[in-house]
Amino acid sequence: MKTNVTILSAGAILVLLVLAMFAGCTGTAPGENETPGATVTTPAAGAGVLKIATTTSLENTGLLAELERVYEGKTGMDLQFIAQGTGQALDTARRGDVDLVLVHAPALEEEFVDEGYGINPRCIAYNFFIIVGPESDPAGIKGMDPVEAFKTIYIAGTNNTPGVAFVSRGDNSGTHVQERTLWGEAGYDYEKEILDAGAWYVDAGKGMGDTLILADEKNAYTLTDEGTYLSFKDRLALVPVIEEGTELMNRYTAIAVSPEKHPDTNAKGAADFINWLISDEGKELVGDFGTAEFGKPLFIPLYPPECTGPPFNCICAEPVPA
Amino acid sequence: MTVIEAQDVRKIYGDMEVLHDVGLAIREGEILGLIGPSGSGKSTLLRILDLIEPPSGGELSILGIDTVKERGRWLDLRRRMGMLFQRPIVFNASVYDNVAMGLRYRRASRSEIDRKVKEALEAVGLSRYIGSRATDLSGGEQQRVALSRVLVTDPEILFLDEPTANLDPGSTATIEAIVARMNRERGITVLISTHDLAQGQRLAHRIAVMIDGTVAQAGSPREIFHAPKDKKIARFVGVQNIIPARVISREGLTTVEVKERRIVSATPPPAEEVAVVIRGEDVSLHRREPGYEEAENLFPARVTAVEPMAPFVNVTVDCGCDIIALVTARRAEALELAAGMDVWVSLPAKVVHLVPRDG
Amino acid sequence: MVNGSPIVEGFIEAINLIITLNPQVVEITIRSLYVSLTATFFAALIALPAGALIYFYEFRGKHAVVSTLQTLYALPTVIVGLVMFLFLSNIGPFGFLRLLYTPGGMIVTQTVLIIPLLMGLTVSALSGIDRDKRYTITALGASRFQTVTTIIIESRFAVMSGVLLGFGRAISEVGTVMIVGGNIRGATRVLTTAIALNTSMANYAMSIALGIILLAVALGVNITLSLVQRR
Repeated sequence: MKTNVTILSAGAILVLLVLAMFAGCTGTAPGENETPGATVTTPAAGAGVLKIATTTSLENTGLLAELERVYEGKTGMDLQFIAQGTGQALDTARRGDVDLVLVHAPALEEEFVDEGYGINPRCIAYNFFIIVGPESDPAGIKGMDPVEAFKTIYIAGTNNTPGVAFVSRGDNSGTHVQERTLWGEAGYDYEKEILDAGAWYVDAGKGMGDTLILADEKNAYTLTDEGTYLSFKDRLALVPVIEEGTELMNRYTAIAVSPEKHPDTNAKGAADFINWLISDEGKELVGDFGTAEFGKPLFIPLYPPECTGPPFNCICAEPVPA
Repeated sequence: MTVIEAQDVRKIYGDMEVLHDVGLAIREGEILGLIGPSGSGKSTLLRILDLIEPPSGGELSILGIDTVKERGRWLDLRRRMGMLFQRPIVFNASVYDNVAMGLRYRRASRSEIDRKVKEALEAVGLSRYIGSRATDLSGGEQQRVALSRVLVTDPEILFLDEPTANLDPGSTATIEAIVARMNRERGITVLISTHDLAQGQRLAHRIAVMIDGTVAQAGSPREIFHAPKDKKIARFVGVQNIIPARVISREGLTTVEVKERRIVSATPPPAEEVAVVIRGEDVSLHRREPGYEEAENLFPARVTAVEPMAPFVNVTVDCGCDIIALVTARRAEALELAAGMDVWVSLPAKVVHLVPRDG
Repeated sequence: MVNGSPIVEGFIEAINLIITLNPQVVEITIRSLYVSLTATFFAALIALPAGALIYFYEFRGKHAVVSTLQTLYALPTVIVGLVMFLFLSNIGPFGFLRLLYTPGGMIVTQTVLIIPLLMGLTVSALSGIDRDKRYTITALGASRFQTVTTIIIESRFAVMSGVLLGFGRAISEVGTVMIVGGNIRGATRVLTTAIALNTSMANYAMSIALGIILLAVALGVNITLSLVQRR
């Protein structure tokens, strides 16, 4: 018995080591370049990979694929996006499993930087969250400001008004954080009053795309970023009900993982990528994205001095030291 | 010369004693039939003698080697013996590879294997299947493959564990013929277990009877079938008449009393309380009192039942005691036997065997 | 749904994607096969000898080991994913290998995932050699080593079935590769995670196309399995 265990664990460690060698050259994995005609330069082993934890709302719009295609073609750096919720993405970065985050929850970002895990935050672009819902608008919130609308939905929901339901991301993503903020501003304690508010409040625990599809199936209201909504629009019966209000501003920020916390991350690659994102070329690419497909851009790039003032209050142009 | 000598061999599985006090000697060149009811331990004994399993105790010497002391020579000894099992066992490979297995284990040369395998398959009439997958053959053919797989290794001792129990009569005859020939021509010592009494008699020079995990009696087929040592053996070897009796006289021939009838036996009484053992076929029936009959026992009786058991007829007669006679169907017809008919029974003293009443 | 019939349309488009050998479809399929085949290979490398050891050596608690293995068949894959994630993450004991979110990490995880299955199936494949066959091998004069090799060769088809089953489980598994692989486009996106993602992006055509391929692979495994088992 004992020998068996020894042999087994020895074998397991051997395999781990062999695979570690494999992993060193993930570039050799078959079919590395999926976009035809993208890169001819295969990224160099190890240092040529940049891992980015990001949000599903970015992934679902297709912006990441576009960034990857252009940046990889330009520099040969192999961008690898792991799409999670913002909260989870920041945790992944705290563990040092990625080199960079691309997220949209200012409060969480601040915390991440203050803890010393994140350095050189740069805001890239913004768009708006919107509240979408059934065209009939059963809660009658059209024309209200977002906080008022949330109050109305709460009252209609808890009064069991027929047809009123709200689907929440429920995954600690940037959108979810925004939603919680809005409930707070409307005067409710999220944990105590909203989570168990009744059948009208649906906690999906899913990405943005899934949540939109779920809300569509249930004819419910939901909070979404505009980009994802636009890219899903022709598959949904939901319509934007509320599109205005500074409370709904949605800002995307890139933050590098601190090499002091995690020395083995690709700090140089992270700095280069952030600098490219805030360059004119990067911002134009972000600003143009979606125009061809949706008739209007999905993101509005941030330029100084606009970004330094309210409501943004962030750095958007100053290059980070490589 | 004795090739196998077992004394006090025991085998225990968990808390089940499967074999106890087994004593058996097998002579070189003989065919020894091992008979006994199922569950009496025949297969276990064969595996122990072939050194497949170790005994739990006792002495066992094989081919002059003390196997208890010399465990290191078991593999060597095993390679001088061979065993064929009840269920045809073939491996998922070609017939050729199946037959070659034993030779490969013995590291025989390629050309030797080739020659011997072809010879062996020729001998069992399976040459045309040499390249076939063994598992595709019929049960009888598989058993022939298994037999040739044993025979190519030229065993000095061959163990056969009910080798024809699952086979049709044709395959049975083929296997029996091959075994008899191997014994005759190559002088292979054979130990064959069977519950088929006829097969035991047909093939074996000597017979050993196993009852309840031990060898109860060993001897010539005549001894076993006509002079069983006790009631259990008598019952197993198919004696129709086992009747309790009392010894009355020991002068010259023994006289015993069975109910009201006195019967004379050539057997010296083994105990005070005995049972009379008479094989049905040794009982002669006559229509009238035979004048010339030299049988010591001659008495009138009345037929109480006639029961056909093709090709024989079981005839029960009442003679102050119930005796079953086994007569051929033809003789029963000639005698016009029917229930209620009066007949004469003759019974030579030498066919009246006595065993202890208890046990 | 707003569109007429997205399912039918998606299906037609899916067939089109497969027939035209869409680079993304091809790439994901090849990666899936690469990851799962490699994992199956390494798992077999470890599990087959280990299973044989368990079968051939008598030791205390052997029965418990075998039934533990059988219990592990039903181990939720997400648990394996979670444990391997904690091991491979930068904060875990094997973090220094930098295997999280790499194909290598997915291979290690799938290997770990199917080792109990392969070991258990190896033990039962070998146990499939009945007592009489083992007696026959001994009676034919096989040494201990020859006995072991004969039994292994004899049970080769059953062992192969086990390996195929393991591969089937590896390639059709989504929980662990999602957690450990991270579903990175062009690096760790495999059939199952790509289906999950494309469905959440309402990209039904791509999902259906990949689903058809996954189904075809599973079907292929099953056909091979039944061919093997018929022997």
